[in-house]
Amino acid sequence: MLFSHALRRFGQALVTSLSFGLLAFQATAAEFTFTAIPDQDESSLQQRFGKVAQYLEKTLGLPVRYLPVKSYPAAVSAFRGDQIQLAWFGGLTGVQARRLVPGSEAIAQGVEDQAFKSYFIAHRSTELKPSDSFPEGIRGKRFTFGAKTSTSGRLMPEFYIRQHLGAAPETAFSALGFSGDHSRTLALVESGSYEVGALNYAVWDDALAKGQIDATKVSVIWTSPTYPDYHWTVRGNLDERFGAGFKEKLTKAFLDMKDPALLQVFPRSGFIPAKNEDYTAIEETAVALDIMDKIE
Amino acid sequence: MRQTSLVFVLLALVCLPFADLSIHAADPWLELQRLGIGLLSPDFPGWTSVRDALFSTLAFALQGVALGVALGFLLSLGYASVVIRLIASFLRSIHELFWALLLLQVLGLSPLTGILALALPYGGTFAKIYGELYEESDKRPREALGIGGGTLSGFFYTVLPLTLKPMAQYTAYRLECGIRSSAVLGFIGLPTLGYHLETAVRQGDYATGAFFFYTLVVLVATMRFWLRPVLIPVYLGLAVYYLPPIAQPDGALLTQFLTHDIVPAPLRGGGELMPWLAALWQGQMLPGLQNTVVLAVLAFAATALITLFSFPFSSPLFGSPRTRTVARALMVLLRSAPEYLLAFLGLMVWGPSMVPGILALSLHNGAIIGTLVSRYTRTMTLREDAVEGLNRYLYEVLPRIYRQFLAYSLYRFEIILRETAILGVLGIPTLGFFIDSAFSEMRYDRALVLLLVTAFLNIGVDTLARRVRLHLHLRNQPETL
Amino acid sequence: MSAALFTLDQLALAYGDHRVSQPLTLQIDAGEKVAIIGRSGVGKTTLLRTLRQQHADRVAWCPQQPGLVPPLSVFHNVFMGRLSCFPGWFNVLNLLYPLKRMREEIQALLSPLSLSNSLMTPVEQLSGGQQSRVNLARALYQGRQVFIGDEPVASVDEVMAKNLLREICQRHETVIVALHDVELAMQFCHRIVGLQDGKIALDAPTHTLDAGQLIRLYQDA
Repeated sequence: MLFSHALRRFGQALVTSLSFGLLAFQATAAEFTFTAIPDQDESSLQQRFGKVAQYLEKTLGLPVRYLPVKSYPAAVSAFRGDQIQLAWFGGLTGVQARRLVPGSEAIAQGVEDQAFKSYFIAHRSTELKPSDSFPEGIRGKRFTFGAKTSTSGRLMPEFYIRQHLGAAPETAFSALGFSGDHSRTLALVESGSYEVGALNYAVWDDALAKGQIDATKVSVIWTSPTYPDYHWTVRGNLDERFGAGFKEKLTKAFLDMKDPALLQVFPRSGFIPAKNEDYTAIEETAVALDIMDKIE
Repeated sequence: MRQTSLVFVLLALVCLPFADLSIHAADPWLELQRLGIGLLSPDFPGWTSVRDALFSTLAFALQGVALGVALGFLLSLGYASVVIRLIASFLRSIHELFWALLLLQVLGLSPLTGILALALPYGGTFAKIYGELYEESDKRPREALGIGGGTLSGFFYTVLPLTLKPMAQYTAYRLECGIRSSAVLGFIGLPTLGYHLETAVRQGDYATGAFFFYTLVVLVATMRFWLRPVLIPVYLGLAVYYLPPIAQPDGALLTQFLTHDIVPAPLRGGGELMPWLAALWQGQMLPGLQNTVVLAVLAFAATALITLFSFPFSSPLFGSPRTRTVARALMVLLRSAPEYLLAFLGLMVWGPSMVPGILALSLHNGAIIGTLVSRYTRTMTLREDAVEGLNRYLYEVLPRIYRQFLAYSLYRFEIILRETAILGVLGIPTLGFFIDSAFSEMRYDRALVLLLVTAFLNIGVDTLARRVRLHLHLRNQPETL
Repeated sequence: MSAALFTLDQLALAYGDHRVSQPLTLQIDAGEKVAIIGRSGVGKTTLLRTLRQQHADRVAWCPQQPGLVPPLSVFHNVFMGRLSCFPGWFNVLNLLYPLKRMREEIQALLSPLSLSNSLMTPVEQLSGGQQSRVNLARALYQGRQVFIGDEPVASVDEVMAKNLLREICQRHETVIVALHDVELAMQFCHRIVGLQDGKIALDAPTHTLDAGQLIRLYQDA
């Protein structure tokens, strides 16, 4: 008896944690789900974004769930498949998602995201020194990006690499890697597996503040010019599904977010409105780098 | 046989100059130390997450393999037909991770995605093995009766009873593989052991990773105790109850996927197909093919060397009981460790090049073949006055196991080729790397073309390996796949 | 005047690509009981095989290699003799749930073969002699007019061999058997065909022959 009861509980727990499609199918239309691209340490994502879910649930007055995903493309796929209705995307993943889901919109971005930047970091064995101009000395080194569709970990760094080194990364470097996320880029350059890497400046600053970086092994050698990055994107039919004015209420919930503990999740100092056009430059860059196809 | 071996050695030598084998000794020691400490002091991450991961790993594996058996059995009935053979070959030529990525686009992150991702390639493999077992079954009963094996009665009376036992053995062996594959599906987001394992290792939380890894090892190592034939229906029932094989069908999404997303971009936009294909060929297919083949051939050569070096340590013909115990434990660990993780650790130690990839593939596969070969040596009886040590190895053992070793290795070559797909993360631009990029960039049209190229390559190698096996009269050994 | 059932007209026997005899001429009529004798390797099996092919669907065939399906029971192996008489679904059903009627029918057939205690025993658990009797039972169960057997009683003792041959001759209008036991051949068959050096060295009614003539077939020419 006990066994079968326990088993049923496992079953329910698993279905909850797994079959989001199923849940969306069974649950009321008022079930609202969101995700965030897993740009750093995954195990803390659930904890961090669980808080955001609670906040939204309270503010919007309906059940809100956070769905953890394993990779950037998984976040976009989940958005495309309507398994999530809201997502905290990077610049590029947001553009990808809005292309795949007509009618979807960017609604809010972090204050810092208007002028986001990437750090180029180097292992001390390279003897590269911090500079204001692009560090041409990285040519021929072992270099790693983050995720393949990261804006700050791949797209913009590649743009500047091509601009300054006049070559595609595959030829400009002796070895080229895609670490998967910013934390891993940091770890791989710190261990010396890769000599140079590019990552999200906020992840670096956060890790530095928490004392997780061995400054004798790795340091920032260049800061990129700024570009727009992370933002919240929603699917187009929210008002039909969750009641008139839902999108506005949601946007307002972000703009009104003042609790430092919540903002630390991102980490941002606050949110401001955003619109699709803010990311036109990102899209053009992605097309120029052949990471996206031209609009048909 | 000597000739074939020589051909492979030559092939490896030809590939050598194309491979980046540089080693970048940096600061791996700190990382290795942390890894060692983690492995020695596994950290229990909480009952809930272990239980859920364990149960879903099993549920995916059981249902996926069961569905694969059904599919494979159906296909095997028509295995004499070239069309069916091609379908089966195609199904198994695409790695389960890629099936999962493909299915993810239309079925979402649902139980059915994971189950089908296992069932499709496994079905292709089952069809081949079952079909070949039928072909090799004793023909005399059919001749005595003057009936063909193709009729319903003929099949059920004179073919199936003769092949049922090896079929069951092979299926049980594949269930072990299925558990590993199910764990690996966690890498792309299904909630199996691999999900937590990858997350932990990625963050350098080796102690937690070690716990999930050991869970997987124990699960596979204890299979013979808990997997009783009579219990299979019970397990399967529980698996279906625990993880109902359903998905939210989204017709619009499926239509969009089939009629828009996988249509080559230029055809959608009114451009020309050929330049698009030519660019893809030049930029991705050609380098992808080259790197895939080079990596696979070198990993295959290294696998062979590791096998020949390692099997004596776990064979009763050499060493002491103590060395055997140690060697067997080590081989169980290497067999259970997903190559992807080995490669990731290798990357930490040796830096980015083909070296971690080759080592990851060859350690894992070498441990598998080494185990099979040393198991085979248990059936050998040597003269009481047989020589010892190296002479025993060279004169008594090697000549007797060589044919078996070659048969096992040839089967593994096909698998190594498929597995190169998932090592793209090291920055080795194999076909798998470009497929992963295409999925990341949401360019399903490119993904599909690249998947087809991969399938063609695998089908080609499959056919070639079959020829070599026939040429050398190497019989099918079910446990070799 | 009985009709010629089997005819060889200047036909050289071949096993695969391997030619085993010179051109042979032989005619066997319906109703005859014929023994084929000769040294091993002389081509008896190939001759029987060739004859069988002339009327494959009328011949109960009992090869020397039993060709049984070891994991299946005696019942199923014997039942296989008549697979072609029943629809496929019926056969599959009978494989899973042997029907009572069939069981009784086959049980009755097994008694004279001393196999009555083994109806549901898997064939792989039987001795070699028992297996060859199962092989014979399968041929008998086919219930055909013609019986062609390759040493059908080779692995049983003399008394049982006689019983079995009597059984075979009673149940079939025409019988062609290869036998190495000359005495048995003379007792049960009306006609004896002797092979030697790829030729038919002897073909005569039994009553015109004596054992000594037959023994000579086993000696060097």
